[in-house]
Amino acid sequence: MRSRYDWVIWTFFWGGLALTALFVGGPVLNAIWLSLHQASSFIAEPKFVGLGNYARVVQEPEFWSAMANGLIYALSAIVLQVVIGIAFAMVLNQPFFGQRLVRGLATLPYLLPTVVVALTFQWLADGSVGLLTVIARDLGLGTIPWFEQPATARASVILASVWLWTPFVTICVLAGLQSIPPALYEAAKVDGAGPVSIFFHVTLPQLKPVLTVVVLLRAIWMFNKFDVIWLLTKGGPLGATEHLPILAYKRAFSLFDVGGGAAVATVSFLILMAAVSTYLWMFPLEEKR
Amino acid sequence: MASVTLEGVTKSFAGLTVVQSVDLAIAEGEFMVLVGPSGCGKSTTLRMIAGLEETSGGTIRIGARDVTQLEPRERNIAMVFQNYALYPHKSVRENLAFGLKMRGTGKAEIEQRVARAAAMLKIEPLLARKPRQLSGGQMQRVALGRALVREPDVFLFDEPLSNLDAKMRVHMRDEIARLHREVGTAMIYVTHDQVEAMTLGDRICVMKDGVVQQVGRPLDVYDRPANTFVAGFIGSPEMNFADGEIASEDGRPVFRSGPLALPLDGARQGAALEPGQPVTLGIRPEHLTVAATGLPARVLHVERMGAESVLQLDAGVGLRALVDRDDGVEEGDTIHLAAPANRLHLFGRDGLALGGAGR
Repeated sequence: MRSRYDWVIWTFFWGGLALTALFVGGPVLNAIWLSLHQASSFIAEPKFVGLGNYARVVQEPEFWSAMANGLIYALSAIVLQVVIGIAFAMVLNQPFFGQRLVRGLATLPYLLPTVVVALTFQWLADGSVGLLTVIARDLGLGTIPWFEQPATARASVILASVWLWTPFVTICVLAGLQSIPPALYEAAKVDGAGPVSIFFHVTLPQLKPVLTVVVLLRAIWMFNKFDVIWLLTKGGPLGATEHLPILAYKRAFSLFDVGGGAAVATVSFLILMAAVSTYLWMFPLEEKR
Repeated sequence: MASVTLEGVTKSFAGLTVVQSVDLAIAEGEFMVLVGPSGCGKSTTLRMIAGLEETSGGTIRIGARDVTQLEPRERNIAMVFQNYALYPHKSVRENLAFGLKMRGTGKAEIEQRVARAAAMLKIEPLLARKPRQLSGGQMQRVALGRALVREPDVFLFDEPLSNLDAKMRVHMRDEIARLHREVGTAMIYVTHDQVEAMTLGDRICVMKDGVVQQVGRPLDVYDRPANTFVAGFIGSPEMNFADGEIASEDGRPVFRSGPLALPLDGARQGAALEPGQPVTLGIRPEHLTVAATGLPARVLHVERMGAESVLQLDAGVGLRALVDRDDGVEEGDTIHLAAPANRLHLFGRDGLALGGAGR
């Protein structure tokens, strides 16, 4: 149906499309173009090398360890965020005194700038005076090298990410929980279901549309996450927390291998696109329950 | 199969008593309807029987078992909800089977019982569908089926037909009545619709403000309402009421209200009437008839409903009469009304029926 406000709709549509093309499409195409050229800096004249950069980067062990690191980081962070997020949401969905206040507090980490969180974490984990270090020492766990050893550094980065972004899952799941009709729980109770059966037969299936979106968004963000890792470890120690975005950054901006960096970023982009497409094929987003 | 007994069942929320000391006995195989306006406590009472609300006092027994403190799943009840409450992600078959699966019923028996219930409700072609692919009436059938397969001690219905359109409601009403005849298990049915109550119930329990007003067979409640609330609530259009007093004419009792005077000779509650006694008179619209002589009344408005018409009348007091549409009454006419004395209801100023009807 045509209305005299059609022009508003079309202005927003074409305007949005133009901005997206300019600021998303442009850089993506530019990165792909760069990945096909060799340049030792951003001002040097690039030389076309075809798929040479790709052939070069995939032969390097750093590439494959960055891929593995990224997958370990993203998968662990997503699983923990979703599991803990659902658990928190279910607690916050119960009526208790001060529920509103606690709900507010629980979303706090998500509102903090990543820089603040990263610096706070570094303080907490400081080798001599950090609160976490002192507590661990007093508990007789010895001095934990939070960021100094590959395994603990990986765990610390995951921990910080879980702490930062679990609230996002909690908020979404809480909204999902509140939209579940109480009669479904009552029907299940009358049907003889206990709390565990109710969770798996009512709560979880009802959360599926929310979780599909939440997992997708978390996966995209975790796979591309740069800031928190860069601020905490810069990919170290010994490359233990170096994943594809950090590798791409280091190549392009530290080693001035602009083509190689762009090739890493493009591969990372293609992997993510394949993963997201597979995911959406397996769990199509439902428009309506 | 079992009976259900409520003794002094009470529910309070934050100091507000919503169900007040309900005593009610539902016999094995009986169809009991809890009826009343919204907020009368009927749903809360049903939910306490289901175990979905805790009681604040009193005892609920199913058969000989005291179930007051038991979880819903331990009560062996089945319930049909107003919004059907079908599991949206499960197929119709899985919806029907869920309760049995939760109770560890064997696979073969589940299949057999689901098939039997589906046949009874004629929903076999729907078994593979999801609830969102069903119409309102079909969803309600599935909800009935889910209760049916459980073969519970008692069926509970919480306004199951109120989301259906008028035609489907009548149809499903017959269906529920048929199911009750076939399975013969006690059913407790909550509704605000007095037609549903009258047509379905072996007995009805009329509630108001958390208090049971009257329990009885539908026609007994209709014929002998215990108080003005029940008299007004049961029956449609609503009973006419007029406040007045008893007078005596030639030694015979007469009801007087302003210009209105009705002889009470032969009134059911005629005995024990004393002149000067303040009363409320009730007469149902369907019991007022147009006659050659009698109470004069001016016709203010005629609502033509098809077979019958409702007359809005001024006879000194406002009255409504339900007459045959062929009576040929027009707006502005003055007609005469006859009111058979044995159809008159008399209530004291406290609202209770004189002569102790009902209860």
